[in-house]
Amino acid sequence: MSIPSQIGTAAAVRVAVDIGGTFTDIQVLDEDSGACFAHKVASRPDDPAAALIDGLQQAAERFGFDLSQVSMLIHGTTIATNAVLERKLPMGALVTTSGFEDVLEIGRHMRRDVYANRAESRSLLIPRSRRFGVVERIRADGCVECEPTPDELKVLANHIAECGAETLAICCLNAHVNSDHERAIAAAIATEMPTLPISMSSDISPEFREFERTSTTVLNALLMPVVGDYLACLENQLRGHGLMAPVYLVQSNGGVATPAVAASQPARLLLSGPSGGARAAEILAEVLGDKNLVAVDMGGTSYDVSLVQDGRIRLINLSEVDGCPVRLPMVEMRTIGAGGGSLATTDDGQSLRVGPHSAGADPGPACYGRGGDRPTVTDANCHLGRIDASHFLGGTMTLHPTVAARALKKDVAEPLGMDLDTAADGVLRVAVSHMASAIRLSLFEKGLDPADFALVSFGGASGLHACDTATDLNIRTVIFPRDPGTLSAWGMLWSDITHNISRSVLMPACEDSEHHLAPIIAAMTDQGHESLAADGIGASDHRIECELDLRYPGQAYEIAVPYGQEGGIGAALSAFHDAHQAQFSHCDETSPVDIVNVRMTAHGLLRKPAAAPAIAPTKVAQPNVRQVYLDGTWRDLLVYERQHLPDDDLIGPLIIEDPHSTLLIPTGWSLRLALAGEIIARYEGTEP
Amino acid sequence: MSELDPVRVEIIRNALVSAAEEMSVTIWRTSRSSVVREILDYSTCVFDAGGHSVAQAARMPVHLNSMAACLEDLLAGPMPIETWNDGDIIVTNDPYSGGQHLPDILTFKPVFFEGRRIAIAGVLVHHLDVGGGAAGSYDASATEIYQEGFQIPPLKIDEGGRRNQAVIELLLANSREPANVGGDFASQLAALDIGVAGLQRIAQRYGADALAEATKTIQNFSETAMRQLIGAVPDGVYAFEDFVDDDGIDLDQPLKIRAVLHVTSDQLMVDLTGSSGQARGPVNCTLNMTRSAVICAILMSIGSEVPANAGCYRPISISAPEGTVVNARHPAPVANRMAVGHRIVNAVMGAFAQALPDQVPAAYYGVSYAYALNAENDDGSRQVYFDLECGGWGGHPDSDGADGFSCGFHNIANSPMEMIESVYPVTFLRYSLIPDSGGAGKHRGGLGLAREFRLDAPAGSFAANLDRFTIAPYGLGGGAAGRPGRLMFRPADSTEEQALSSKVSGLRLESGDVVRLETAGGGGHGPASERDLNASKHDLEEGYIS
Repeated sequence: MSIPSQIGTAAAVRVAVDIGGTFTDIQVLDEDSGACFAHKVASRPDDPAAALIDGLQQAAERFGFDLSQVSMLIHGTTIATNAVLERKLPMGALVTTSGFEDVLEIGRHMRRDVYANRAESRSLLIPRSRRFGVVERIRADGCVECEPTPDELKVLANHIAECGAETLAICCLNAHVNSDHERAIAAAIATEMPTLPISMSSDISPEFREFERTSTTVLNALLMPVVGDYLACLENQLRGHGLMAPVYLVQSNGGVATPAVAASQPARLLLSGPSGGARAAEILAEVLGDKNLVAVDMGGTSYDVSLVQDGRIRLINLSEVDGCPVRLPMVEMRTIGAGGGSLATTDDGQSLRVGPHSAGADPGPACYGRGGDRPTVTDANCHLGRIDASHFLGGTMTLHPTVAARALKKDVAEPLGMDLDTAADGVLRVAVSHMASAIRLSLFEKGLDPADFALVSFGGASGLHACDTATDLNIRTVIFPRDPGTLSAWGMLWSDITHNISRSVLMPACEDSEHHLAPIIAAMTDQGHESLAADGIGASDHRIECELDLRYPGQAYEIAVPYGQEGGIGAALSAFHDAHQAQFSHCDETSPVDIVNVRMTAHGLLRKPAAAPAIAPTKVAQPNVRQVYLDGTWRDLLVYERQHLPDDDLIGPLIIEDPHSTLLIPTGWSLRLALAGEIIARYEGTEP
Repeated sequence: MSELDPVRVEIIRNALVSAAEEMSVTIWRTSRSSVVREILDYSTCVFDAGGHSVAQAARMPVHLNSMAACLEDLLAGPMPIETWNDGDIIVTNDPYSGGQHLPDILTFKPVFFEGRRIAIAGVLVHHLDVGGGAAGSYDASATEIYQEGFQIPPLKIDEGGRRNQAVIELLLANSREPANVGGDFASQLAALDIGVAGLQRIAQRYGADALAEATKTIQNFSETAMRQLIGAVPDGVYAFEDFVDDDGIDLDQPLKIRAVLHVTSDQLMVDLTGSSGQARGPVNCTLNMTRSAVICAILMSIGSEVPANAGCYRPISISAPEGTVVNARHPAPVANRMAVGHRIVNAVMGAFAQALPDQVPAAYYGVSYAYALNAENDDGSRQVYFDLECGGWGGHPDSDGADGFSCGFHNIANSPMEMIESVYPVTFLRYSLIPDSGGAGKHRGGLGLAREFRLDAPAGSFAANLDRFTIAPYGLGGGAAGRPGRLMFRPADSTEEQALSSKVSGLRLESGDVVRLETAGGGGHGPASERDLNASKHDLEEGYIS
């Protein structure tokens, strides 16, 4: 079967652009043929929109299409996250219930470093002088105890105008149950300052726990001007270049949103980085028929782990950015400081530590030859011949093995009294043990067994360690997707619009609850349909899913279970007891159960063209041979180019060079190619 | 046996830390009461086959170091190691058998592999109520441990895998909160099994001998590191005294904590001789509690980076005469042992500040601010709302103390007010920093917190075990002391506030009555005259000072 290497002049073209810190990754899908094309350009943190337009134009030229052919642009951006990390945020104000102005500052007041002698720094998004209390109070059951007076609101509006706030967050106690006061406050201030962006907690994160809700609402408020300006500028430029198609933004929940939604709820973009990769893993699960996947992404400084369970991405409802809680659905991810740049250190010659500190991008690993003299994971790989020093990053960079060896010798081998090769190998073994621990803990906390999962490896540095990590975990299958360097962008191509709507209800689960929930769910369903209709999605493409967060009374943690017409509350309860048993090794079917939140996900299905099979290798090249240290000795390994792999199954040990990464297939593993160009490695041995 | 290579040691160390972490995750996700679920008042630990600690999931200093001491006492006393069989679980909450106070229930389970004991898993959880004279088992008027709740002497709740359900039934029958305590206890026991599985996995993978060798190396590493840190403290004798306001029974009688450090080369002796005789009220520490406080103060002063395990205790010896507040004799009451515990930390750190004036901060608030409200509902049901608070950090030689942040001997998260209001008949009226409460100084102390709430049930009773109402957190190097805390009571039909004492036992409340806790600020460091003008200006503009 032959696939065109160019896009037809009449074809509709779908484009995904993923802007990261270093690179802007582009994937282009020819909707007629299903063929995908990858392109990469350097990011421009000073002007991300410009890099996006440049990249688009380059891709259009390279693959032979015109921007007017673009039918849809899906865009992943770190603009929100970077604005928070770098504190490039506008001046915000916060209005809250009088007496509780310091909730944002006090936080949950628990320290991370148990024996700290000096307190860790805490993030303070809005200073005390711009936090204003209103005399009002709503009780936990939604009853009004004290109403704000119009006079006070007038005075308040003046204070906010005077303090110079460019954006406003409103978070009143118990507003998740009754939002009347937040709305009254917003209305009073909007009258005085009609252009001031306002975020209300009852809109942004209507669930109980005041600090987390305040933090999320404040982040949203601070990001509204940042993201709003960026999107306005981007759309303007795109239109100027003849791209008239709809634009969608990738959200933290794995779905996409229209620019209008993203501009009013920018906190939804905050942790969107993992969404593309997770979506890609979900599609791989479907294509390969492997429903349970652990996706790992190893870059220069970190190692990210996410899960696909029963074919679906795992989401969580609370995370944080730079110490600030964000309570919105997002792809669940465990991140540890284990990347190619992770530093190897010894504590007084007694033990070998790897990470969490990193050599960073500058100077980077010693073998980069940029002045770094401390050994890293990449240096160990370089010294042991596992990466090709003369052809790093697709030949764009040359490494210096002698510098790597010097650093490893000075900081690891000599202090520990080991020979250089064993020391370098030890660095990698410790790094792998960290990665395996991170994966084990990710699965463990859900009561899952690694042996039931396959590992998906992407990111520049992951391919060197994926099989070893899998062996450590008793995982027998490792999948290396095609284009691992632009996998996130590829995943974005297949996104749907997703709205998350939640309500705290806190009621005991019983037969009556169906009756109590019905009007709430009806209202939320209507809201879901309305939001999708506003996005321009036809009713036949709406998919509404409802879940209940359940817990035993008093528990800290809720479990979300599906709730629907079939089965009703009874089915939800038995799903809850089962899930509790599976995750926590105990359950109590006689215990009462609380319903804490109702969660609704409204999906607007976007068209999914069929993906084309991979381009068959044009020629099978003879493998090269390289000296690599493996299994405690130096040996000659066959080195294949990924584009020129033979059709036959291969048996490790061997090395595969991808343009932007290296795959190491150890002894005992065999390989085959899957239809869409994935390489699937299987452990053939007995118990590892 | 050949020495294990450093790579293998590190890999096993990771696995041990993961095992402790997995136990911790289990409790967090499965526990039921607010104490455990939001305040995170629990700890997990992994011990070697001989009962020496190796790895812990770091949460509460107060638990971590005393869990190890408790296990040592059990093994040396009523529960020799030879009697620990596969499938046994040992439980106790007895302060005089190595425990702390009765709500803290400790459980230990030996880990067997190929017929041989290879490790012990330990879990400590603070339970919501184990009976006694007041809700939350914090009876400030207790003068004997018998008034403080249900005592569990060291015993086997599981024997060869068979559970003695009667022990649990006895415990729950004595608790005001049987459903919560039952749920939390189930979590605690489940976590032990998770720990056992994790440790068996390590032995399976690397061999039991390698595990034993690695634990030894890990402990030796901490010992070496601790000796180096002590070696860096100038040899000498350093003394400091601090005081607890009173024991709640004999008012106006401050209790002295005297700490004398004897630093000789790489060894440290901490002598608490000269501390007050044991108190009638429940502020006493048993010896393990005292040890735990001393270790915490040492780690905070010089060793925050050292992995805390049995090895780092070796170069340290502690002397605390029997019959004093720092080593009480049975049956002295101990429920509010944190009052003396925090003060031991303050005193030992004060002594370190003499030796290392550029390294050790002024006094933090030094109280756990534990209080409990027993609400009596219309239908006759009762609900116990229990909470803990913190205050300001002491000014550091190079920076201001943190405002309203957990410090020192405990480490607690606050309870979300919306969560409490959704469950208990309580309405909050204030939660804020208290301006001007930090001690002035070149680097000021952190601010204390105010937390005010109203009872909405028809009636109830209130108990509190607080301190630092009269004797303020000290400043250092010319810095001022922090503002002491207080407890204010306002009856429903009044605008007049009354000041309550720091230890309150069973104060009757009616619907609409309001209680406000104000916690202490930290002491300042260095003369206030040397404070950076911009820092003062900022404090003024932001309302941290008036």
